[in-house]
Amino acid sequence: MKKEDTVKLISAEGFEFVIDKEAAMVSQTIRNMLTSPGSFAETQDGKVTFPEISTTILEKICQYFYWSLQYARGKETDFHIEPELTLELMMAANYLHT
Amino acid sequence: MMEIENQTELVRLCLEAAGESRESIEKWRRQRRSLERLPAHLADSLLRHLIRRRLLFPSLLEVFKRSVEVINLRGENYVDGEWLAYLGAFRYLRSLNLAYCHKISSSAIWPLAGMSSLKELDISRCVKVTDAGIKHLLSIPTLEKLCLSETGVTENGVELLSSLKNLSVLDLGGLPVTDPVLSSLQVLTKLQYLDLWGSKISNEGACVLEMFPRLSFLNLAWTNVTKLPKMLSLECLNLSNCTIDSILELNEEKAPLVKLSLSGTTFVNEAEAFLHIETSFLSFLDVSNSSFNSFCFLPEMKALEHLDLSSSIMRDDTIEMVVCMGANLRNLNLSNTRISSARIGVLAGHLPNLEIFSLSGTQIDDVAMSYIGMMTSLKAIDLSNTDIKGFIRQVGAETDLVLSLTALQSLNHLERLNLEQTQVRDAALSPPPETLKLLDLRGCWLLSEDSIMLFCKRNPQIEVRHERRSVAPSDQVGPNRPSPSRISLMASQMNKKPEQLPLSLCFIDQRLKYSREELLELQYSTLSLELPHDSDDQEVMRLE
Repeated sequence: MKKEDTVKLISAEGFEFVIDKEAAMVSQTIRNMLTSPGSFAETQDGKVTFPEISTTILEKICQYFYWSLQYARGKETDFHIEPELTLELMMAANYLHT
Repeated sequence: MMEIENQTELVRLCLEAAGESRESIEKWRRQRRSLERLPAHLADSLLRHLIRRRLLFPSLLEVFKRSVEVINLRGENYVDGEWLAYLGAFRYLRSLNLAYCHKISSSAIWPLAGMSSLKELDISRCVKVTDAGIKHLLSIPTLEKLCLSETGVTENGVELLSSLKNLSVLDLGGLPVTDPVLSSLQVLTKLQYLDLWGSKISNEGACVLEMFPRLSFLNLAWTNVTKLPKMLSLECLNLSNCTIDSILELNEEKAPLVKLSLSGTTFVNEAEAFLHIETSFLSFLDVSNSSFNSFCFLPEMKALEHLDLSSSIMRDDTIEMVVCMGANLRNLNLSNTRISSARIGVLAGHLPNLEIFSLSGTQIDDVAMSYIGMMTSLKAIDLSNTDIKGFIRQVGAETDLVLSLTALQSLNHLERLNLEQTQVRDAALSPPPETLKLLDLRGCWLLSEDSIMLFCKRNPQIEVRHERRSVAPSDQVGPNRPSPSRISLMASQMNKKPEQLPLSLCFIDQRLKYSREELLELQYSTLSLELPHDSDDQEVMRLE
C-alpha cells in the first residue's frame, strides 16, 4: 500500500489507526480536511488527531468506514452496534458527519 | 411525529441500536457524562426515537433533563402527571407538545410552573385542563406560543393570560372567549397569531382586533362577527362559516392579505366585502360551499396559487374569470360545481402551471380527457364521481371506441390519478404515464379482477387501490382527500349498488398494511402489554 493512499487517524489516547484514504473519505468532515488545499496541516502528512474520540469509538468508526464502502458496493450486511457504545458513537458520527 | 429527520447514516444506526429494546436502554442510561455532553439535536432525536418505539417511561426522562430542548408527545395518551413531574425539571426545554394527551389535568401541569426556558406549549384538547391549570402557567414569563384550543378553560382563565406579555402565538379555538375578555388581552401587543374560532366574539369585540399592531394571522371561523376593522398587518384571515357584512372597512390602505378562507361563508353584500381587500397579493382563496358570486374579482388576483371553488355556484359562464387569472395558479378545485367538459378546454391553454386539479363530482365526461391531457404541468388529478368511462363511442360506428385515458400519457409529471366511483371498464386501463405513483380505482365496479391484476403486474411501481386487490397499503393523506360532501356522495352511490361492491373477497393479511417499523412499534404498544407475545401472528390478529 502506498503511503499517499492511506491516512492515519489518532485517538484521544494516542492510538493510531492507519486506514485507506478512500475509507476515511466516508466521513464528510475528514474528506473536507483532506481535500481542501492547504488549510489543514493534516493535508500534508496524512495524519488526523481526534482528542475527543476514544480508542474504542475510533476503532468502531474505522470498522464503519469499511462496512459503508462494502455496503455501497452491494454487500448487504448489518452493522452491529453494541448498545453501550451508542451515545459516544453517535456524538463521534455527528462530529465526523458520517 | 412528522419531524423531518436529518441525520447522517451512522447517527441513524446508533439511534436504532440505542432504542432497540428495554435491555439496550439499560446499557447506556447510566452513562451520565455522555448523556450530559449529548448535543441538543441528538438528544431530541434519541428521545423522539424512544417515544416512537414506545420505550420511554417517566423515570427514564430523568437522564435527558440537561440536554433535551424539544419534546413532542402529541397524541401519546398514556402521558400523565408523573411524566410532567419529570419534565418540569428539564433545564433547557424550549418546546413541549402535549396535545391530545387526555390524562393531563390542571394539577398535572403544576410542575411546569416556573420553568425558565419554555417558549412553546401546546395542550390543545387536554379537556381536563381548566382555569386552575392556567394559573400554573402564569409563572412562565418566557412563553411565546400557547395553544389551548378545546381545553376546559373558561373566559376567566383566558383573561389571566394578559400577564404573559411575550405571547406571539395564541390559539384559543373552541373556547368561550367573550368581547370583554378579548378586550383585556389588548396588552399582548406582540401577538402575531390569534385563533378564536367558535368563540363568543361579536362585532363589538372584533373592534379591539385593531389594537394588535403585529397581528398577521386571524381565525374567526364559526363566530358571529359580521364586520372587521382595519388591520394593516393581516396576512391570513379565516372567516369560514360566518355571515359577512364587510371586511376590513374604512380602510384607506388595504390589508395585504395572502391567505383568505371563506369556506361556507354567507355574504350580505359581497361586492362591498371584497372592495376593501387588496387582492393582488392573495395566493390562497377558499370560497368552497359559500354563496360567493363575485367572480369578477378573480381576474385581479394575479398572485393566486390555490383556488378552491368546490360546491360554489361557479358555472360554465363564469369560468372565463378563472382563465383570466393566469399563470400562477397551481391548485384548482372545481369539484361539485356545474362545470362541463367543453369548458375544461377553455381552461386548458391558460393555466400553464396547474399542478393539482380536482373535478370530483362534476358532470364532465370523457370528452374532457383530451383537454386535460394538454395541461402538461399536472401532478394530481381527481376525477372521482364523474361520468368518465374511459372511452368515447364514435357517432355512427358502433364498434369504434376511442380510448380516452390515453390522452393522459402526455402528462409526464402526473403522480396521482383518482378515478374512484367512475364507470371505467377493463379496456380503458391503458399504459399510464411513467411518473404515476398512485391510481385510485375504488368503487370502479365494472373492472374485472383479472384486468386489475394484469395492470398491477405490468406497472409494479404504481400503488393501485381497488376492492378486488388484496394489498391495501396504508392510506395517505393527500391533496385529494375527499371532502365531507364527497363522502356523502360516495355513500349514496354505495347504497345504489351494494351488490357490485365486494368489500373483502380475499383475506387481507393485516401485516401488509404496516411497514416493519410500524409493526415493531405496535408490538410495544400499551395495547399488547397484557398478553405475552408468542408470535407475530398473534400480535397481528389482536390488532384486527
